[in-house]
Amino acid sequence: MPKPLEGIRVMDLTQVFAGPACTRILSDLGAEVIRMESPNRLDITRNLLHTDNDGQEVPWERALYFTIRNAGKKEIVVDLAQERGREMLREIIAQSDVVAESFTPRVMRAFELDYEHLKQVKPDIIMISLSGYGQDGPYSDWSAYGMGLEPASGVSQVTGYQGGPPIRSGLSFTDPYSGFIGAGAVLAALHHRRRTGQGQYIDLSEQEAAVPLVGAALMDYAMNQRLPERIGDRSPWAAPQGCYRCSGDDSWIVISIESDDDWAAFCSATGHSDWAADVRFSTFEGRREHHDELDKLITGWTKDQDHYKAFHLLQKAGVIAAPVLNGKQALLDPHFKERGQYDVVDQPHNGKRLVGRHLAAKFDEFEAAVAGPAPTLGQHNTEILGGLLGISDEELAQLTEQRVITTEPALPVPAAIVSQALKLPYEAFLENGTLQALDPDYQKQLGLEP
Amino acid sequence: MAEGSLSDLRIVDLTQGIAGPYCTKLFADLGAEVIKVEPPDGDWSRTLGPFPSDEPHPEKSGLFLHLNTGKKSLTLDLESDTGQALVKKLLAEADVLVESDGQTRMAELGLAHDDLRGGLPNLISVSVTPFGCSGPYKDYRGNSLTAMAMSTIMYNTGHPDREPLTTGGTPADYIAGIHAWIGALAAVAYRAEHGKGQHVDVSLAESAACTDEYNAGMYAFQGAIRRRFYSRHVFGYPMDIMACKDGYIVFIPGAGGFPQRGLTQEGTVSPMSLLMENPELDQNPLFQSGQERMIRWREVDELIQPFLDTKEAKEIVDFAQALRMPFAPVPTVKDLVEDEHLAARSFFETIDHPEASKLTYAGAPFRMSETPPMINRAPTLGEHNEEFGASADA
Repeated sequence: MPKPLEGIRVMDLTQVFAGPACTRILSDLGAEVIRMESPNRLDITRNLLHTDNDGQEVPWERALYFTIRNAGKKEIVVDLAQERGREMLREIIAQSDVVAESFTPRVMRAFELDYEHLKQVKPDIIMISLSGYGQDGPYSDWSAYGMGLEPASGVSQVTGYQGGPPIRSGLSFTDPYSGFIGAGAVLAALHHRRRTGQGQYIDLSEQEAAVPLVGAALMDYAMNQRLPERIGDRSPWAAPQGCYRCSGDDSWIVISIESDDDWAAFCSATGHSDWAADVRFSTFEGRREHHDELDKLITGWTKDQDHYKAFHLLQKAGVIAAPVLNGKQALLDPHFKERGQYDVVDQPHNGKRLVGRHLAAKFDEFEAAVAGPAPTLGQHNTEILGGLLGISDEELAQLTEQRVITTEPALPVPAAIVSQALKLPYEAFLENGTLQALDPDYQKQLGLEP
Repeated sequence: MAEGSLSDLRIVDLTQGIAGPYCTKLFADLGAEVIKVEPPDGDWSRTLGPFPSDEPHPEKSGLFLHLNTGKKSLTLDLESDTGQALVKKLLAEADVLVESDGQTRMAELGLAHDDLRGGLPNLISVSVTPFGCSGPYKDYRGNSLTAMAMSTIMYNTGHPDREPLTTGGTPADYIAGIHAWIGALAAVAYRAEHGKGQHVDVSLAESAACTDEYNAGMYAFQGAIRRRFYSRHVFGYPMDIMACKDGYIVFIPGAGGFPQRGLTQEGTVSPMSLLMENPELDQNPLFQSGQERMIRWREVDELIQPFLDTKEAKEIVDFAQALRMPFAPVPTVKDLVEDEHLAARSFFETIDHPEASKLTYAGAPFRMSETPPMINRAPTLGEHNEEFGASADA
């Protein structure tokens, strides 16, 4: 089935998470995405989280984080510090529709690869810069990692247990968030180009992109000069609402009671006519006032329930609830499975692996599924530089010799030693609780081995 | 005035609440004509606060005003024949229908994609619902919290000895709104090539799951089940929110902050030791080994916290950034509104409204050089009835 972005070529200079999530969606929608890394500065996610916590002889090819973000893309490895490298990049861009980059703003200007220069190469190019703080303003040259940008956008000040300090989400939350927004921005720019022939420049600040998430709190401040309190898992619009302990090891369910009818349904489903009869709980205001007591009562019921069984029981009664899933449970969840949330890729050096979707939309006419495995380092040097640019085999050999292009990383020590150094301390993590478990037979549990 | 990138598109918006309205807000802010069809008593988000002085008023809900910028409002009873007939008339001239009640409910109103596709083969219908339009949970109810619960993010957020914590606000609503917007735009691109509309099915649960950084990945590639540990990343310490003298900062030394064996030149001092004004720290095993820092993190805290207690947030972040370490601030909404960087970028917008008057709104999530997003005020209830030939009791 044809996909909507077939025929669109994206030159992808992004790294790590936000930019690669943006271009992963474009790839899943059918675009040809050509990643670029530098021989002297690989994407740092090639150093993170290796298959079976062991990079073996090829740690840069066994990096699971890199694989998930970049599955389906092509890749060249070109040194932009050398003029021939920049020249080849400009030649690819002359034949591309979109350029995506995520450097701090000064880098592209220093390479003369900013929009003003690139539109001379390709007048209708669409260029998107995904940066921490945007292309201008006093913080524009700040260095930025995803784990700092969720707090910088205001989200962390409204996240936390009641009475506790602000807390980050357990991942770099605004990275994928701004990657998604960026993919939509590119689609909007492509739409405009289709109508007018005009390209343009998109400046996406990850900090700004996430500010609308605190839009209601901003309005409260504008209207009442009031700052929000951290409310844990509660809600201003539902009571009771929370996360409750179930039977089993570290097993939880969320429950949200939005109306009096929901409350009646909940009491009936849990067999507690006594709660339904208690006038203190008969109104939203009453349930809010007695939320602490309700939490104790509800836990008294949930603690003996299996989280999935309680979820189905409550939902069948029309009550909003869901099990809290860990990584393994999400992979095995029947609903996610039936709807294809995880695709199988056959990844060189890793075998068959499940990788998560990046776009949640299900289309009638095509599937926004991953286009294939992630590229190995410089896998498409010959195809792109030889094929698309028509560079001769002789020159490619010469470029390899000069390390303008490569398929081998420059390592200070043998690869096996690098792999050893990059292993995470999983024994200590199991002991202190950073890891809940390590299943040796996980591929079998996931149905990927007989 | 510059045209918006989507100004040739017309959207019929049957959504209420947060997720669907955020999707159609993104269309409106990029210039599309969004016709918001509200029930006679309005989108239910008009009843949710914040309100000025906490006094409920359908035209003064901060949440509604934020989520419905630039749209037109039309009040219709979708249960009535005249209401359905008018929506169908609007759809004949529309590119995209967005709904948040699900196709089961739409079918009851004769407005499911299967009802419409015969007469309107070019129409794109987008559903944004808690669990999607297929699969075992399709008719289940949900909200942002249920989506965050199933996303793996919540399981990994919070303290190891407490319950999992959701991210503040209702983030899954916004993520699903973005995915619905992307899905609609992808279907518009498909239609441009293949001349055919289609149905696009977006769920809150899967949208939130798409933000999973590596929780499912760690199981799929390692058999490791990650568990919340103060919301910390597994691959380094410290890179977290920490308290300082006057508030909080995000403490992130980054790839080059601590001494790097074999890479840091003899005689140089690491940025972390410069920050803490003590060059001898470079000899400390905790500074020399990332593994040691992850395992002995309490000792790292004991080393760092007394220094942080003496410094103000702005002072630390500015100095760390001068040393090229990616430290970050932890602003409140007040800090954001007063921030010099966001002010220099003219991020916030002051918008007047006939009932709610002038307020500061979050700006557009990105800039476009040729078709800048524009944020215009939200409509009053039924403000555009006359334009579309409807009356409140239609």
